[in-house]
Amino acid sequence: MIFDKVLSHGKKEQKVIENIQRHIKLLCYACDLFKRALEQHDRNLMRKVIDLEREGDSIRREIISSVYKGAFLPYLRPDLCKFVEIVDHIFDLLEDNAYHYIDIELPEQIDDECIRVAFLNLRICEILMITFKAMLKGEDLREKTLAIRIYEKKIDDIKMNLIREVRKVRVDTFWEGKILSDFISYLTMISDVIEDASDHLQIINLSYQIT
Amino acid sequence: MKVQEFMTTRIEFINADGSVYEVIEKMVDKRIRSLLVKLSEKDNDYGVITARDVVFKVMAKSIDPKNVKAREIASNPLVYIDQDMDFNEAATLMKKANISRLIVCDDKKIVGVVAMMDVMSAALIKRARRDYDL
Repeated sequence: MIFDKVLSHGKKEQKVIENIQRHIKLLCYACDLFKRALEQHDRNLMRKVIDLEREGDSIRREIISSVYKGAFLPYLRPDLCKFVEIVDHIFDLLEDNAYHYIDIELPEQIDDECIRVAFLNLRICEILMITFKAMLKGEDLREKTLAIRIYEKKIDDIKMNLIREVRKVRVDTFWEGKILSDFISYLTMISDVIEDASDHLQIINLSYQIT
Repeated sequence: MKVQEFMTTRIEFINADGSVYEVIEKMVDKRIRSLLVKLSEKDNDYGVITARDVVFKVMAKSIDPKNVKAREIASNPLVYIDQDMDFNEAATLMKKANISRLIVCDDKKIVGVVAMMDVMSAALIKRARRDYDL
C-alpha cells in the first residue's frame, strides 16, 4: 500500500511520526490536568499545565526541524507542519487559560459547566489521537472526524449558556471582566481548533492517498 | 459510555400554570427542544413538554397557545435514570417505554436530560473509539 510506503520506511519519517504522537499524547495529558485542576480548584496543578506547554513547544520545534531536514516528500511537509502548529495552538490556549485561572476566582455559577467543557475537551483530544492513529493505519477518517464535530457542537451549546450566565456575574474592574471573558472564550475555542486539526489530518490523509 | 458524559445539562423549567405561549417563547428564546414542568409540590413530580407536544396538541388543532396551560399538554410520568447508566441501556429503556427523553438524576437531584439525539451522538462517538484503547 502506498500509504504504508510513505509512512513506514525511513528513519526520519518514523521519528517525526513518533514525535507527533508524543505531541498529541502530551496534549491529552495537559487537557486532563487542566480538567483536574478545575475540579480540585488547584492552582499548583494549573501551573503544571503551563510547564506542559513548554514541553509541547520543544517537541514542536523538534518535529519541524526534522521535517525540514528532509523527512517526507517536500510537498507534504507544509501540511504536516501546519498540523503540528495547530496542535501547538491548542497548547497555547490551555496555557493562557491556566494563567487566567491562576489570576481569577471562577464564579460558582459557571464552575460546573467549565469543568464539563474541560472534560469534553479531553475527550475530543483523545479522538484526535485516535484519528491520527487511524490515519497511520490508512483507515477512512470519516467516523473519527464526525465524532470530533459532535463534541464540538456539544461544546458550542454549552458555550452559549456559559456566556448567558457570565453576563449576570458582577465584576469590579475591567480587567476582572476581561480575564473572565477570555477564560470562557479560550476554554470553548479549544474544540474549534481541534476540529481544524482533524480537518487538516483529513487533508494529509488525502495527500498520501494521491501520492 | 455513561449518560453523564454526554447528557444535556441545561434544563429549563416552566410553571405548570404558565401558558403554552410562554413555553414556545422560552423554547425559541433559549433554543431548546423541551421544558420540564413542575406539576405539584411532591418530590420529582415533573412533566415534560417537547416541541412535538406544542405542535401536535395545540398548533395543529388551531388552539390559541395563550389559552392552554403548560400542565395540560405536559407528558408524565417521566422516566428517571441514574447518571451512571450506560447509553445502550438508556436506548433500550427509551424503546421499551416508547419515549424520547430520559431524566438523569444524581441521587434524587435532576442533573440532565438524555434525548434521542444524545443517544445517536453517543453511538457515533463509541463507533469512532472502537478498536482504540487510550
